[in-house]
Amino acid sequence: MTDTAYAKPLPRVTPDNAPFFEGLKAGELRLPRCADCGRFHYPPGPVCPYCFGQALEWAATGGRGAVSSWVVVHKAWFPAFEAEIPYNVVQVELDEGPRLTANMVDAAPGDLAVGLIVVAVADEVTPERYLLRFRRAD
Amino acid sequence: MSDFIRDKTAIAGIGLSQFGRGLEESQLQLGLVAFKDALDDAGLAREDVDGLSIHLGWPLGVDYDRIAEVFGLDIRYVNQSWLHGRFVTTALQHAALAVAAGMADCVACITAISFTRLRGFLGGPEDQEGTREEGGTHGEAPAYGLTAPASGAAMAMQRYMARYGATSEQLAEVAITFRKHAALNPRAVMRHPLTLADHQAARMVVDPLRLYDCCLITDAAACILVTSTERARDLNARPVTIAGMQGIRSGREEFIFAPRGLGLNQQTTGTPGARARDLEVYRAANIDRDAVDGLYTYDAFAPLVLFTLERFGFAGPGEAADWIQGGRIGLGGELPMNTSGGLLSEAHVAGWNSIAEMVRQLRGSAGASQIEGASVLQWGTAWGDSVILRN
Repeated sequence: MTDTAYAKPLPRVTPDNAPFFEGLKAGELRLPRCADCGRFHYPPGPVCPYCFGQALEWAATGGRGAVSSWVVVHKAWFPAFEAEIPYNVVQVELDEGPRLTANMVDAAPGDLAVGLIVVAVADEVTPERYLLRFRRAD
Repeated sequence: MSDFIRDKTAIAGIGLSQFGRGLEESQLQLGLVAFKDALDDAGLAREDVDGLSIHLGWPLGVDYDRIAEVFGLDIRYVNQSWLHGRFVTTALQHAALAVAAGMADCVACITAISFTRLRGFLGGPEDQEGTREEGGTHGEAPAYGLTAPASGAAMAMQRYMARYGATSEQLAEVAITFRKHAALNPRAVMRHPLTLADHQAARMVVDPLRLYDCCLITDAAACILVTSTERARDLNARPVTIAGMQGIRSGREEFIFAPRGLGLNQQTTGTPGARARDLEVYRAANIDRDAVDGLYTYDAFAPLVLFTLERFGFAGPGEAADWIQGGRIGLGGELPMNTSGGLLSEAHVAGWNSIAEMVRQLRGSAGASQIEGASVLQWGTAWGDSVILRN
Protein backbone atom coordinates (compact mmCIF):
# COMPACT_ATOMS: atom_id res chain seq x y z
CA MET A 1 0.00 0.00 0.00
CA THR A 2 1.31 3.45 -0.81
CA ASP A 3 0.83 6.56 1.29
CA THR A 4 -1.87 7.74 -1.09
CA ALA A 5 -3.87 4.53 -0.60
CA TYR A 6 -3.93 5.02 3.17
CA ALA A 7 -7.12 6.99 3.82
CA LYS A 8 -6.42 8.24 7.34
CA PRO A 9 -4.38 11.34 8.14
CA LEU A 10 -0.66 10.78 8.64
CA PRO A 11 1.54 12.88 10.93
CA ARG A 12 3.63 15.58 9.31
CA VAL A 13 7.32 14.71 9.25
CA THR A 14 9.58 17.67 9.93
CA PRO A 15 13.27 18.22 10.67
CA ASP A 16 12.32 18.32 14.36
CA ASN A 17 10.45 15.03 14.53
CA ALA A 18 11.92 12.88 11.72
CA PRO A 19 14.08 10.80 14.14
CA PHE A 20 10.92 9.84 16.04
CA PHE A 21 9.50 8.16 12.94
CA GLU A 22 12.87 6.65 12.00
CA GLY A 23 12.89 5.13 15.47
CA LEU A 24 9.48 3.55 15.00
CA LYS A 25 10.66 2.05 11.73
CA ALA A 26 13.55 0.48 13.65
CA GLY A 27 11.12 -0.83 16.27
CA GLU A 28 12.11 1.68 18.95
CA LEU A 29 10.33 4.52 20.69
CA ARG A 30 13.01 7.20 20.51
CA LEU A 31 12.72 10.62 22.08
CA PRO A 32 15.08 13.56 22.41
CA ARG A 33 17.26 13.50 25.53
CA CYS A 34 19.43 16.28 26.83
CA ALA A 35 23.08 15.33 27.25
CA ASP A 36 23.51 18.09 29.85
CA CYS A 37 20.68 17.27 32.28
CA GLY A 38 19.88 13.76 31.11
CA ARG A 39 16.14 14.30 30.81
CA PHE A 40 13.92 13.11 27.98
CA HIS A 41 11.42 15.62 26.65
CA TYR A 42 8.54 15.99 24.20
CA PRO A 43 7.58 17.58 21.86
CA PRO A 44 10.94 17.58 20.06
CA GLY A 45 12.68 20.84 19.28
CA PRO A 46 16.07 22.49 19.10
CA VAL A 47 16.59 22.91 22.85
CA CYS A 48 15.99 21.19 26.18
CA PRO A 49 12.93 22.85 27.74
CA TYR A 50 14.21 22.05 31.24
CA CYS A 51 17.85 23.26 31.26
CA PHE A 52 17.85 25.16 27.93
CA GLY A 53 20.84 23.12 26.80
CA GLN A 54 21.29 22.33 23.13
CA ALA A 55 23.31 19.14 23.39
CA LEU A 56 20.42 16.90 22.40
CA GLU A 57 20.47 13.31 21.25
CA TRP A 58 17.73 10.93 20.20
CA ALA A 59 17.71 7.90 22.48
CA ALA A 60 15.53 4.81 22.82
CA THR A 61 13.08 4.80 25.70
CA GLY A 62 11.93 1.57 27.31
CA GLY A 63 8.60 2.08 25.53
CA ARG A 64 6.79 1.42 28.79
CA GLY A 65 4.37 3.69 30.58
CA ALA A 66 0.97 4.15 32.16
CA VAL A 67 -2.24 5.45 30.67
CA SER A 68 -2.65 8.97 32.07
CA SER A 69 -5.93 9.65 30.30
CA TRP A 70 -8.15 8.19 27.59
CA VAL A 71 -11.19 9.00 25.53
CA VAL A 72 -13.53 7.05 23.29
CA VAL A 73 -14.57 8.81 20.10
CA HIS A 74 -18.22 8.28 19.17
CA LYS A 75 -18.62 10.92 16.48
CA ALA A 76 -17.69 10.32 12.84
CA TRP A 77 -15.55 13.36 12.20
CA PHE A 78 -13.31 11.41 9.81
CA PRO A 79 -14.95 9.19 7.17
CA ALA A 80 -11.84 7.01 7.27
CA PHE A 81 -12.41 6.23 10.97
CA GLU A 82 -16.17 5.76 10.76
CA ALA A 83 -16.09 1.96 10.59
CA GLU A 84 -14.09 1.83 13.84
CA ILE A 85 -16.44 3.94 15.98
CA PRO A 86 -16.30 3.86 18.93
CA TYR A 87 -12.51 3.88 19.08
CA ASN A 88 -10.08 4.89 21.78
CA VAL A 89 -7.33 7.46 22.01
CA VAL A 90 -5.04 7.36 25.01
CA GLN A 91 -2.44 9.60 26.53
CA VAL A 92 0.44 7.62 28.01
CA GLU A 93 2.99 8.84 30.51
CA LEU A 94 6.21 7.03 29.70
CA ASP A 95 8.44 5.81 32.53
CA GLU A 96 10.93 8.44 31.28
CA GLY A 97 8.35 11.22 31.87
CA PRO A 98 7.00 12.54 28.56
CA ARG A 99 3.35 11.95 27.65
CA LEU A 100 2.41 10.82 24.15
CA THR A 101 -0.98 10.47 22.49
CA ALA A 102 -1.85 7.36 20.45
CA ASN A 103 -4.37 4.54 20.17
CA MET A 104 -4.38 1.37 22.22
CA VAL A 105 -4.63 -1.82 20.22
CA ASP A 106 -6.56 -4.89 21.34
CA ALA A 107 -8.47 -2.91 23.95
CA ALA A 108 -12.23 -2.74 24.40
CA PRO A 109 -13.59 0.54 25.82
CA GLY A 110 -14.16 -1.22 29.15
CA ASP A 111 -10.47 -2.11 29.39
CA LEU A 112 -9.36 1.50 29.45
CA ALA A 113 -8.31 2.98 32.76
CA VAL A 114 -5.97 5.62 34.08
CA GLY A 115 -2.89 3.87 35.42
CA LEU A 116 -3.05 0.88 33.08
CA ILE A 117 0.51 -0.23 32.28
CA VAL A 118 1.19 -0.31 28.55
CA VAL A 119 4.04 -0.82 26.12
CA ALA A 120 4.71 0.85 22.79
CA VAL A 121 4.14 -0.89 19.48
CA ALA A 122 5.31 0.33 16.08
CA ASP A 123 2.44 -0.14 13.64
CA GLU A 124 3.37 -0.34 9.95
CA VAL A 125 0.48 1.49 8.29
CA THR A 126 2.16 1.84 4.90
CA PRO A 127 5.50 0.42 3.68
CA GLU A 128 7.07 3.79 4.49
CA ARG A 129 5.12 4.97 7.49
CA TYR A 130 4.85 3.69 11.04
CA LEU A 131 2.56 4.93 13.78
CA LEU A 132 2.98 4.61 17.51
CA ARG A 133 0.38 2.49 19.29
CA PHE A 134 0.23 1.01 22.76
CA ARG A 135 -0.91 -2.36 24.06
CA ARG A 136 -1.36 -3.74 27.55
CA ALA A 137 1.92 -4.76 29.13
CA ASP A 138 0.73 -8.11 30.46
CA MET B 1 -0.07 45.60 36.83
CA SER B 2 0.04 49.24 37.84
CA ASP B 3 -2.99 51.52 37.85
CA PHE B 4 -2.05 52.48 34.28
CA ILE B 5 -5.16 50.70 33.05
CA ARG B 6 -7.44 50.53 36.11
CA ASP B 7 -10.84 51.99 35.18
CA LYS B 8 -9.25 54.18 32.50
CA THR B 9 -11.23 52.52 29.72
CA ALA B 10 -14.83 51.44 29.46
CA ILE B 11 -17.28 49.50 27.37
CA ALA B 12 -19.52 52.19 25.93
CA GLY B 13 -21.65 50.12 23.59
CA ILE B 14 -22.76 46.56 22.95
CA GLY B 15 -24.43 45.23 19.85
CA LEU B 16 -25.72 41.82 18.85
CA SER B 17 -27.15 40.23 15.73
CA GLN B 18 -29.79 37.56 15.93
CA PHE B 19 -28.45 34.21 17.13
CA GLY B 20 -29.37 31.08 15.22
CA ARG B 21 -28.39 27.95 13.37
CA GLY B 22 -28.19 27.78 9.62
CA LEU B 23 -28.65 31.54 9.21
CA GLU B 24 -28.44 32.60 5.58
CA GLU B 25 -26.79 35.95 6.25
CA SER B 26 -23.10 36.39 5.57
CA GLN B 27 -20.71 37.11 8.40
CA LEU B 28 -20.39 40.67 7.10
CA GLN B 29 -24.17 41.09 7.26
CA LEU B 30 -24.36 39.71 10.80
CA GLY B 31 -21.39 41.84 11.79
CA LEU B 32 -22.97 44.97 10.36
CA VAL B 33 -26.12 44.43 12.41
CA ALA B 34 -24.04 44.06 15.58
CA PHE B 35 -21.83 47.05 14.74
CA LYS B 36 -24.76 49.39 14.07
CA ASP B 37 -26.53 48.10 17.18
CA ALA B 38 -23.44 48.92 19.27
CA LEU B 39 -23.09 52.40 17.75
CA ASP B 40 -26.76 53.11 18.52
CA ASP B 41 -26.34 51.75 22.03
CA ALA B 42 -23.39 54.04 22.71
CA GLY B 43 -24.64 57.04 20.79
CA LEU B 44 -21.58 57.03 18.55
CA ALA B 45 -21.20 57.40 14.80
CA ARG B 46 -19.25 55.19 12.43
CA GLU B 47 -16.66 57.96 12.11
CA ASP B 48 -15.93 57.76 15.84
CA VAL B 49 -14.48 54.25 15.49
CA ASP B 50 -10.76 54.33 14.72
CA GLY B 51 -9.64 50.93 15.99
CA LEU B 52 -10.50 47.27 15.38
CA SER B 53 -9.68 44.32 17.61
CA ILE B 54 -10.59 40.96 16.15
CA HIS B 55 -9.76 37.33 16.74
CA LEU B 56 -12.12 35.27 14.60
CA GLY B 57 -11.11 36.20 11.06
CA TRP B 58 -11.51 34.39 7.79
CA PRO B 59 -12.85 31.80 7.10
CA LEU B 60 -15.03 31.45 10.22
CA GLY B 61 -15.45 35.19 10.57
CA VAL B 62 -14.31 38.38 8.95
CA ASP B 63 -10.84 39.91 8.81
CA TYR B 64 -10.18 43.46 9.94
CA ASP B 65 -9.25 44.79 6.50
CA ARG B 66 -12.44 43.51 4.92
CA ILE B 67 -14.55 44.98 7.71
CA ALA B 68 -12.78 48.32 7.34
CA GLU B 69 -13.22 48.50 3.58
CA VAL B 70 -16.77 47.16 3.47
CA PHE B 71 -18.04 49.29 6.37
CA GLY B 72 -16.10 52.33 5.13
CA LEU B 73 -14.05 52.80 8.28
CA ASP B 74 -10.88 54.85 8.63
CA ILE B 75 -8.81 52.79 11.08
CA ARG B 76 -5.54 53.69 12.82
CA TYR B 77 -5.19 50.77 15.24
CA VAL B 78 -5.64 47.05 14.54
CA ASN B 79 -5.19 43.90 16.54
CA GLN B 80 -6.11 40.61 14.88
CA SER B 81 -4.97 37.45 16.61
CA TRP B 82 -4.88 33.71 16.00
CA LEU B 83 -8.25 32.47 14.81
CA HIS B 84 -9.51 30.96 18.05
CA GLY B 85 -12.35 31.72 20.39
CA ARG B 86 -9.88 31.70 23.24
CA PHE B 87 -8.55 35.09 22.12
CA VAL B 88 -11.77 36.84 23.08
CA THR B 89 -10.03 38.11 26.20
CA THR B 90 -6.94 39.20 24.32
CA ALA B 91 -9.06 41.09 21.80
CA LEU B 92 -10.85 42.97 24.58
CA GLN B 93 -7.56 43.63 26.39
CA HIS B 94 -5.88 44.99 23.27
CA ALA B 95 -8.81 47.34 22.76
CA ALA B 96 -8.39 48.69 26.29
CA LEU B 97 -4.60 48.93 25.99
CA ALA B 98 -4.81 50.78 22.68
CA VAL B 99 -7.27 53.31 24.07
CA ALA B 100 -5.27 53.75 27.29
CA ALA B 101 -2.09 54.28 25.26
CA GLY B 102 -3.74 56.84 23.01
CA MET B 103 -3.35 54.69 19.92
CA ALA B 104 -7.09 54.79 19.31
CA ASP B 105 -10.09 56.70 20.62
CA CYS B 106 -12.69 54.01 20.13
CA VAL B 107 -11.98 50.37 19.31
CA ALA B 108 -14.66 48.06 17.95
CA CYS B 109 -14.30 44.39 18.85
CA ILE B 110 -16.34 42.73 16.12
CA THR B 111 -16.96 39.00 16.02
CA ALA B 112 -19.20 37.68 13.25
CA ILE B 113 -19.18 33.94 12.72
CA SER B 114 -21.04 31.34 10.67
CA PHE B 115 -20.13 28.13 12.42
CA THR B 116 -22.95 26.11 10.89
CA ARG B 117 -21.87 26.91 7.34
CA LEU B 118 -18.21 26.26 8.12
CA ARG B 119 -18.40 23.46 10.64
CA GLY B 120 -15.90 21.42 8.63
CA PHE B 121 -13.20 23.61 10.11
CA LEU B 122 -14.17 22.44 13.59
CA GLY B 123 -12.69 18.97 13.22
CA GLY B 124 -12.20 16.25 10.63
CA PRO B 125 -10.48 16.26 7.23
CA GLU B 126 -10.97 19.99 6.57
CA ASP B 127 -9.33 21.01 9.84
CA GLN B 128 -5.76 21.74 8.74
CA GLU B 129 -4.76 23.44 11.95
CA GLY B 130 -5.42 20.32 13.99
CA THR B 131 -2.72 18.55 12.00
CA ARG B 132 0.08 20.58 13.60
CA GLU B 133 3.12 18.43 14.31
CA GLU B 134 3.00 16.73 17.72
CA GLY B 135 -0.60 17.78 18.26
CA GLY B 136 -3.03 20.60 17.63
CA THR B 137 -3.60 23.38 20.09
CA HIS B 138 -6.61 21.60 21.64
CA GLY B 139 -4.77 18.26 21.77
CA GLU B 140 -5.82 17.04 18.34
CA ALA B 141 -4.01 13.99 16.98
CA PRO B 142 -5.70 13.26 13.64
CA ALA B 143 -3.50 10.28 12.80
CA TYR B 144 -5.20 8.60 15.76
CA GLY B 145 -8.66 9.88 14.92
CA LEU B 146 -8.57 12.60 17.56
CA THR B 147 -9.86 15.89 16.18
CA ALA B 148 -11.92 18.94 17.14
CA PRO B 149 -11.60 20.98 20.33
CA ALA B 150 -13.83 18.52 22.21
CA SER B 151 -10.98 16.01 22.10
CA GLY B 152 -8.74 17.90 24.49
CA ALA B 153 -11.56 18.83 26.85
CA ALA B 154 -12.60 15.16 27.00
CA MET B 155 -9.03 14.01 27.66
CA ALA B 156 -8.76 16.52 30.52
CA MET B 157 -12.14 15.62 32.03
CA GLN B 158 -11.42 11.89 31.96
CA ARG B 159 -8.23 12.40 33.95
CA TYR B 160 -10.00 14.81 36.31
CA MET B 161 -12.70 12.18 36.93
CA ALA B 162 -10.10 9.49 37.59
CA ARG B 163 -8.07 11.65 39.95
CA TYR B 164 -10.89 13.19 41.94
CA GLY B 165 -13.90 10.90 41.54
CA ALA B 166 -15.97 13.51 39.70
CA THR B 167 -18.88 12.08 37.72
CA SER B 168 -20.82 12.83 34.56
CA GLU B 169 -23.90 13.40 36.76
CA GLN B 170 -22.03 16.12 38.65
CA LEU B 171 -20.81 17.69 35.44
CA ALA B 172 -24.41 17.82 34.19
CA GLU B 173 -25.08 20.58 36.74
CA VAL B 174 -23.23 23.00 34.43
CA ALA B 175 -25.40 22.37 31.37
CA ILE B 176 -28.61 22.21 33.42
CA THR B 177 -27.85 25.51 35.18
CA PHE B 178 -26.95 27.40 32.03
CA ARG B 179 -30.06 26.05 30.31
CA LYS B 180 -32.14 27.52 33.13
CA HIS B 181 -30.44 30.84 32.48
CA ALA B 182 -31.12 30.56 28.76
CA ALA B 183 -34.80 29.94 29.45
CA LEU B 184 -34.97 33.53 30.78
CA ASN B 185 -33.26 34.92 27.67
CA PRO B 186 -35.40 35.36 24.54
CA ARG B 187 -32.27 35.55 22.37
CA ALA B 188 -30.98 32.14 23.48
CA VAL B 189 -30.99 29.35 20.92
CA MET B 190 -31.72 26.52 23.42
CA ARG B 191 -34.43 27.39 25.93
CA HIS B 192 -36.37 24.22 26.73
CA PRO B 193 -35.65 22.71 30.15
CA LEU B 194 -32.82 20.20 30.45
CA THR B 195 -33.03 17.50 33.12
CA LEU B 196 -30.35 15.24 34.52
CA ALA B 197 -32.11 12.33 32.79
CA ASP B 198 -31.97 14.19 29.46
CA HIS B 199 -28.27 14.85 29.99
CA GLN B 200 -27.46 11.25 30.84
CA ALA B 201 -29.56 9.85 27.99
CA ALA B 202 -27.91 12.06 25.36
CA ARG B 203 -25.36 10.53 23.05
CA MET B 204 -21.68 10.45 23.83
CA VAL B 205 -19.59 12.71 21.61
CA VAL B 206 -16.18 11.90 23.02
CA ASP B 207 -16.39 9.86 26.19
CA PRO B 208 -16.67 11.29 28.86
CA LEU B 209 -18.33 14.29 27.17
CA ARG B 210 -21.97 13.91 26.27
CA LEU B 211 -23.90 16.06 23.83
CA TYR B 212 -25.01 18.69 26.35
CA ASP B 213 -21.49 19.03 27.75
CA CYS B 214 -20.49 20.50 24.37
CA CYS B 215 -21.43 23.99 23.23
CA LEU B 216 -23.77 24.99 20.45
CA ILE B 217 -22.64 25.45 16.88
CA THR B 218 -24.38 28.68 15.86
CA ASP B 219 -24.21 31.73 13.62
CA ALA B 220 -24.11 35.10 15.30
CA ALA B 221 -22.30 38.40 15.67
CA ALA B 222 -21.43 40.68 18.55
CA CYS B 223 -19.74 44.07 18.78
CA ILE B 224 -18.25 45.70 21.86
CA LEU B 225 -17.09 49.32 21.73
CA VAL B 226 -14.22 50.32 24.01
CA THR B 227 -13.34 53.96 24.64
CA SER B 228 -11.92 56.04 27.46
CA THR B 229 -13.98 56.15 30.62
CA GLU B 230 -13.88 59.93 30.46
CA ARG B 231 -15.46 59.89 27.03
CA ALA B 232 -17.89 57.11 27.90
CA ARG B 233 -19.38 59.26 30.65
CA ASP B 234 -20.68 61.64 27.96
CA LEU B 235 -22.32 58.86 25.94
CA ASN B 236 -25.71 57.15 26.10
CA ALA B 237 -25.20 54.36 28.57
CA ARG B 238 -23.76 54.09 32.04
CA PRO B 239 -20.06 53.27 31.50
CA VAL B 240 -18.89 49.80 32.44
CA THR B 241 -15.21 50.18 33.24
CA ILE B 242 -12.40 47.72 32.66
CA ALA B 243 -11.04 47.50 36.18
CA GLY B 244 -8.27 44.91 35.83
CA MET B 245 -6.82 42.38 33.44
CA GLN B 246 -4.46 39.42 33.27
CA GLY B 247 -3.26 37.53 30.22
CA ILE B 248 -3.26 34.00 28.82
CA ARG B 249 -0.93 31.60 30.57
CA SER B 250 1.26 29.29 28.51
CA GLY B 251 4.10 26.86 29.10
CA ARG B 252 4.75 23.22 29.85
CA GLU B 253 2.58 23.43 32.96
CA GLU B 254 -0.29 24.76 30.91
CA PHE B 255 -2.86 23.19 28.65
CA ILE B 256 -5.75 25.42 27.63
CA PHE B 257 -8.36 22.88 28.69
CA ALA B 258 -6.89 21.86 32.05
CA PRO B 259 -6.09 23.43 35.40
CA ARG B 260 -2.41 23.46 36.31
CA GLY B 261 -1.27 20.20 37.87
CA LEU B 262 -3.91 17.99 36.25
CA GLY B 263 -1.27 16.07 34.32
CA LEU B 264 -2.31 16.61 30.71
CA ASN B 265 0.25 16.78 27.94
CA GLN B 266 3.54 17.77 29.59
CA GLN B 267 2.06 19.18 32.81
CA THR B 268 3.41 17.78 36.05
CA THR B 269 0.82 16.10 38.25
CA GLY B 270 0.10 17.92 41.49
CA THR B 271 -2.41 20.13 43.25
CA PRO B 272 -0.90 23.60 43.03
CA GLY B 273 -4.21 25.47 43.35
CA ALA B 274 -4.39 29.17 42.62
CA ARG B 275 -1.09 30.95 43.31
CA ALA B 276 -0.54 34.66 43.75
CA ARG B 277 0.46 35.10 40.12
CA ASP B 278 -2.76 33.40 39.03
CA LEU B 279 -4.76 36.06 40.87
CA GLU B 280 -3.16 39.21 39.48
CA VAL B 281 -6.48 40.36 38.08
CA TYR B 282 -7.88 41.03 41.55
CA ARG B 283 -4.87 43.11 42.54
CA ALA B 284 -5.09 44.91 39.22
CA ALA B 285 -8.69 45.86 39.99
CA ASN B 286 -7.80 46.48 43.65
CA ILE B 287 -10.50 44.15 44.92
CA ASP B 288 -10.74 40.91 46.87
CA ARG B 289 -12.11 37.89 45.03
CA ASP B 290 -15.07 37.99 47.41
CA ALA B 291 -16.17 41.24 45.75
CA VAL B 292 -17.04 39.39 42.53
CA ASP B 293 -20.83 39.27 42.10
CA GLY B 294 -20.81 36.93 39.12
CA LEU B 295 -18.33 34.93 37.04
CA TYR B 296 -18.47 34.56 33.27
CA THR B 297 -16.43 32.06 31.35
CA TYR B 298 -15.80 30.46 27.98
CA ASP B 299 -18.00 27.39 28.37
CA ALA B 300 -17.21 25.68 25.07
CA PHE B 301 -17.27 22.47 27.12
CA ALA B 302 -18.77 22.00 30.56
CA PRO B 303 -15.47 20.90 32.18
CA LEU B 304 -14.01 24.35 31.43
CA VAL B 305 -16.40 25.79 34.01
CA LEU B 306 -14.93 23.52 36.68
CA PHE B 307 -11.38 24.29 35.63
CA THR B 308 -12.02 28.04 35.65
CA LEU B 309 -13.39 27.89 39.19
CA GLU B 310 -10.19 26.14 40.26
CA ARG B 311 -7.95 28.48 38.25
CA PHE B 312 -9.17 31.45 40.21
CA GLY B 313 -9.41 29.68 43.55
CA PHE B 314 -13.19 29.76 43.98
CA ALA B 315 -12.83 26.01 44.46
CA GLY B 316 -9.74 24.05 45.48
CA PRO B 317 -8.00 21.52 43.21
CA GLY B 318 -10.40 18.69 42.39
CA GLU B 319 -13.24 20.28 44.34
CA ALA B 320 -15.18 22.18 41.68
CA ALA B 321 -17.46 19.30 40.65
CA ASP B 322 -18.76 19.15 44.22
CA TRP B 323 -18.64 22.92 44.66
CA ILE B 324 -21.06 23.72 41.82
CA GLN B 325 -23.86 21.49 43.10
CA GLY B 326 -27.05 22.80 44.65
CA GLY B 327 -27.54 25.97 42.66
CA ARG B 328 -24.28 27.63 43.61
CA ILE B 329 -23.54 28.88 40.05
CA GLY B 330 -27.17 29.64 39.20
CA LEU B 331 -29.03 32.93 39.43
CA GLY B 332 -29.71 33.50 43.10
CA GLY B 333 -26.74 31.34 44.04
CA GLU B 334 -23.47 32.26 45.69
CA LEU B 335 -21.64 32.85 42.41
CA PRO B 336 -23.93 33.13 39.38
CA MET B 337 -22.16 32.16 36.16
CA ASN B 338 -22.99 32.77 32.49
CA THR B 339 -26.38 34.25 33.29
CA SER B 340 -27.50 34.55 29.66
CA GLY B 341 -26.93 30.84 28.98
CA GLY B 342 -23.35 30.87 27.71
CA LEU B 343 -21.99 28.99 24.74
CA LEU B 344 -23.76 25.89 26.02
CA SER B 345 -27.29 27.26 25.67
CA GLU B 346 -27.41 30.88 24.44
CA ALA B 347 -25.12 30.80 21.38
CA HIS B 348 -21.45 30.39 20.47
CA VAL B 349 -20.38 33.95 19.92
CA ALA B 350 -16.93 33.08 21.26
CA GLY B 351 -17.77 34.51 24.67
CA TRP B 352 -18.80 37.95 23.44
CA ASN B 353 -22.40 37.03 24.21
CA SER B 354 -21.38 36.66 27.84
CA ILE B 355 -19.39 39.90 27.81
CA ALA B 356 -22.46 41.71 26.46
CA GLU B 357 -24.46 40.09 29.27
CA MET B 358 -21.93 41.36 31.84
CA VAL B 359 -22.45 44.88 30.50
CA ARG B 360 -26.24 44.54 30.74
CA GLN B 361 -25.87 43.26 34.30
CA LEU B 362 -23.66 46.18 35.31
CA ARG B 363 -26.10 48.65 33.75
CA GLY B 364 -28.92 47.00 35.66
CA SER B 365 -30.69 46.17 32.42
CA ALA B 366 -30.49 42.35 32.46
CA GLY B 367 -34.23 41.96 33.01
CA ALA B 368 -35.30 38.59 34.39
CA SER B 369 -31.65 37.54 34.63
CA GLN B 370 -30.54 40.51 36.72
CA ILE B 371 -28.09 39.76 39.55
CA GLU B 372 -29.38 42.06 42.24
CA GLY B 373 -26.94 44.85 42.95
CA ALA B 374 -24.29 43.58 40.53
CA SER B 375 -21.33 45.95 40.74
CA VAL B 376 -18.26 43.80 40.01
CA LEU B 377 -18.22 40.96 37.48
CA GLN B 378 -15.34 38.79 36.36
CA TRP B 379 -14.62 37.31 32.97
CA GLY B 380 -12.11 34.48 33.44
CA THR B 381 -11.17 31.44 31.38
CA ALA B 382 -9.77 27.96 31.86
CA TRP B 383 -6.55 29.16 30.21
CA GLY B 384 -6.11 31.72 32.94
CA ASP B 385 -6.80 35.10 31.41
CA SER B 386 -9.32 37.48 32.90
CA VAL B 387 -10.94 40.89 32.80
CA ILE B 388 -12.85 42.45 35.68
CA LEU B 389 -15.63 44.85 34.80
CA ARG B 390 -17.46 47.17 37.18
CA ASN B 391 -19.99 49.97 37.11
